[in-house]
Amino acid sequence: MDQKRFHLVHDEQPDRHVVYIKGELDLAAAEQFQRTVEPLASDASKPLVLRLEDLTYIDSTGIGMFVALLKTRHQLGAPFAIENVPPKVRRLFDLTGVSYFFSEMNDATERIGGQS
Amino acid sequence: MKEHEMIVQLSIPADAQFLDIARLTLYGLAAKMGFSYEEIEDMKVAVSEACNNVVLHAYNGRSGDIHLRFEMSADALSIVIKDEGKGFDYERAAKQAASLSGKPLKDVKVGGLGLFLMEALMDDVRVTTKGGTEVRLTKFRHHGEGEHAHDCISPSSVQEQA
Repeated sequence: MDQKRFHLVHDEQPDRHVVYIKGELDLAAAEQFQRTVEPLASDASKPLVLRLEDLTYIDSTGIGMFVALLKTRHQLGAPFAIENVPPKVRRLFDLTGVSYFFSEMNDATERIGGQS
Repeated sequence: MKEHEMIVQLSIPADAQFLDIARLTLYGLAAKMGFSYEEIEDMKVAVSEACNNVVLHAYNGRSGDIHLRFEMSADALSIVIKDEGKGFDYERAAKQAASLSGKPLKDVKVGGLGLFLMEALMDDVRVTTKGGTEVRLTKFRHHGEGEHAHDCISPSSVQEQA
């Protein structure tokens, strides 16, 4: 059961915000996700990275929030990436078409990373 | 074909904190029937999408229930998700149900994603809106087929009963 319980771990590193998303990101977890991640998303001074290796469930609720984050970061011109996407989550990203936007943003992250 | 159909029913409050109970029940029954891990994961998302719509749209903030009915037959599992709410406008949602691929980011809207996923992940989706909304999701059992079961995505079958 613990594996399913949703929780977030924010690791603030000197050069980026890393958020580990663990458990089931469903409608019940949406508010907690937004409360934690939105303030970080509005900080344009550092890249934002979501680590998904322990994400055990996602549906359109979570995908919708990821798209909102993509838009926010895009408007700010700030780097945003997702890392370590589990296969079953990747499949839903591919099906819904959000993978395309993430790969685009990942490229931007790499470019910005390369300038430093 | 339905001679040995068995039924399990579950009612939960239309509140997001009970959605995991719907998924756990689905997992238990689908595993018992011999569905693969991938098929069960697909069904979990589809059932959650239908339940999400009830939680978000059916009762306008008033309390109400989600009724789940799991119909197990030899060749399929059907999950019926029903509410007594105001009747979600599925016909309109169906027009928006599409993937996001090929759109510029600024034009991306996620409103139709739930219904899109239900249709992409299940073999059959039927919606009736009459005294509430009833969504019937069906997954057929693919006996011993080497091919990936997801190849047979059914076309949109959203119907509205007058």
